Order: sequence, then C-alpha cells, then structure tokens
Amino acid sequence: MASQQADRGRVGGLRRAVDGTAAEWFGLAVRLGLAVVWGWAGLAKVSDPAEAAQAVRAYEILPESLVKPVGWGLPFLELALALLLALGLGTRIVAVVSAVLLLVFIAGISSAWTRGISIDCGCFGGGGAVDESQTKYLQEILRDSGFLLLSAWLVYRPRTRLSMDAWLAA
Amino acid sequence: MSEKNREGKRNARDKMKEARAAEEAKARRNKKLAVGGVVAVVIAAAVVVGVVVQNQRSKPETPTAAPAGTVGDKNLVIPVGAANAPSTLTVYEDPRCPACGSFERTFSPTVDQLEDAGKIVVNYHIVSFIDRSLGGSGSKYGANALGCAQDAGHFRDYHDVLYRNQPEETEDSFGSKQTLIDLAKQVPGLDTPEFQACVNDNEFGGWVSAVQQDFDKSSYKSTPTVLLNGEAVYPKKGDEQISPENLVKWVDAANQGKELGTPGSNGQSPAPSSTAAESNNPPSP
Repeated sequence: MASQQADRGRVGGLRRAVDGTAAEWFGLAVRLGLAVVWGWAGLAKVSDPAEAAQAVRAYEILPESLVKPVGWGLPFLELALALLLALGLGTRIVAVVSAVLLLVFIAGISSAWTRGISIDCGCFGGGGAVDESQTKYLQEILRDSGFLLLSAWLVYRPRTRLSMDAWLAA
Repeated sequence: MSEKNREGKRNARDKMKEARAAEEAKARRNKKLAVGGVVAVVIAAAVVVGVVVQNQRSKPETPTAAPAGTVGDKNLVIPVGAANAPSTLTVYEDPRCPACGSFERTFSPTVDQLEDAGKIVVNYHIVSFIDRSLGGSGSKYGANALGCAQDAGHFRDYHDVLYRNQPEETEDSFGSKQTLIDLAKQVPGLDTPEFQACVNDNEFGGWVSAVQQDFDKSSYKSTPTVLLNGEAVYPKKGDEQISPENLVKWVDAANQGKELGTPGSNGQSPAPSSTAAESNNPPSP
C-alpha cells in the first residue's frame, strides 16, 4: 500500500518533470542547441561547392549524377532545419526530419568505416579522402548519436518555451 | 419538469458540447496541417534555391582561361620537358602538402636533369585540396601563382623555389599573396608587374578549381601521386622504393631503344649538375 503510493508519487514527479514548465525550458535549450548544430553544419558547407560535392563523392555511395545535387542541396536543407528549429515552428516534424537525416549520416559513416575507405565525414565542412591514421569514424558516429538524442527528445516532447508553435496554439 | 424534458435538455447541451469539441479538433487539425505545409515548403524551397545558387557559384570543370602552354583536353596540365620525350612522369602535387615538399626537395635535381636530357616530360597537376581540411587559401593561391609563373614561362624555377620555401602544413604562408610575390624575386625575370597582377587578381582561380575538380573525380586520393608512364612509382614501384638513383634506372629501362626528345629551354634555368637533394630554406619569419 505504502509502496504503491510511493510509486504513484514517483510517476507523478516524473510526469511533472517531463510535462512541466521546467521541461519546456529544457526543450527550448534542446531546440536551440540543435538549431546551432544544423546552422553551423550548413554554413560550413556553403562556401565551396566543389568541396561540398567532393565530401559526398568520397563516400563512394551515390552515383556521380547525384553527387553535386546532394552536395549542393544538403547544406541548405540543414540551414532550413536550423531556421525552423530556431523559430520553433513545426518542432515535431522538424525533429523527425532531423532524426532521419542523422540516421542517414550515421549509416553513411558506418558504411565507409566497414568498407575500409579513409575519409573525413565532412559533417562540418571539409570532407574527402584522408590518411588512414586520421579517420575518426567512432567519434563522428558518437557525435551524431548525441544529436540524434536531442532530436528524439523533441519528437517525444515538441512543446517548448518561446516557440512559434506555442504562440500559434495560444 | 418531466423526466423527458430534462433528458432532452441534457441531450441538447451534450450535443452542443460535442459539436464545439469537434470544431476545435478540426481547427487544431487544420492548424497542424498548415504548419506541416509551411515546414515542407520551407525545406523544399531551401533545397531548390541551394542547388540553383551553388550551381551558379561553382566554377566550371572546363576553365575559361588557362595559363599559356598548358596541355590536355581541358588545359589542366603543365608540361615540363620535351613534348616528344619517350617517357612521361605524371605528378599530382598540392603546394601546401609536406610530402610533396619532401619529394620535390629530394627529386627535383634528378627530375630537372631527366627533363633536360630529353628523357622525360613531366605533366604537373597542381591540385589544391589541403585548404579544405586545414582552412586558409595557400593551396589555391600557391597553385594560382604557379599558373602565373607557367604563363610567364618560369614554372619550373618558381615551382622549385616554392617547395624549397614551403611552410609547415598548418601554417598558411602561401595564403599571403605578398609572400608568393616575394618568392618570385628568386627567379630571374619573373617578378614583373604582370606576374604581380596575376597573383593579386587570382587570375587563374577558375583554372585552379578545374584542376582540383579533375583530381576529385580521379581515383587518386593523396599527394604526391607520381606515375611513370601511367604506373605508380611513389612511394614504391612494385617492391622497389623510389630514390633518385632508382628513378633514373626506371626511366632508362622504360626508354630503352627509344629516341630521346628534344628539350627546348622553355625559359627555365638548366638542371643542376649534381643530383644531390636540395636543402629547405628556412621559412622567413
């Protein structure tokens, strides 16, 4: 009896933590953090179109005809996600797109790793072939997994402070 | 009040409540749809605009202007030595690449001699990808300056000077156009107003990008990539390590029974008489 009550209390506490005001402020931090990540990643890939294309080509996954469209379009997709996250507009959909994109990146890096090719992921600019001793596949995957957790949180709890979503719902 | 009447009232109230709830749900759904639509439009527009803008910004794979004397179907290659030499040495180098610097300082006296003897023509591909990973512009500006030197007929000498004065890979000295112009003073006749303008205006920037894009699409992944008649010889040819002596041996073997080429001076200074490796000039502070 007593333990049941304690359980209920704990569940209530958890629910308050996940749904309460504090969680909405936490959500704001997650949302802005992810916006900074996408903004930084996108901007770093914009300046040199040939470099962006080569970063994609180096994965040796896409056919040559898709290398340039992907290399050129991807940074702007990332910038669009950054903008939408910063505004807090359609947070859950944007978080889903973020998560899918990060899963694609993790799959691409894992694929390069297992095929034994030596590349920089080109996640934040750069990219292309590097010396075998300079590959950082594990760090790159762990980093993207961290960003994936941020996205997953926003899919789970898309309601955040200072968002256009909240303003539209009011 | 009869039972019936009361029930009827409650029914009406419930219905109104239900109707209002349904309306609110519908409004929420519409709002969600609208937000989803806006998100889709923003993402699609960004990607389309991005592809169009980057397509316009990217430099063509076939350069609009190339240094005089460059060869190949897109004029991306700088040839040094007799065009009719029996053997071809193909060299891919980045001005900032330390391994290229050490290759050049060890091999350039030998390579110069092989050129002047009409034994080889060297096809230089001056690539510029180190700027991508380390930041800066020393690869690109250095490659452009080499294009300017080629245009002025002093490629070989300026190329040797650059590699003898190569900074640490992480130091971007070649990103300074003034440094590139100052180094040209070591090549008699190169430091002209035309050369300075060519370096300062990054005149062959489009050509430099085209050479790099060609390298991007090639199967070669690092520099220096050195091929003798199409076969990789750096760092090894088969099981044999490359050395000045071995390079001469390999070239002579490939040239056996073939007529040597007729090298012109091409405005270059003659090869040194010794094959001794050159020392690196300490980079000026």
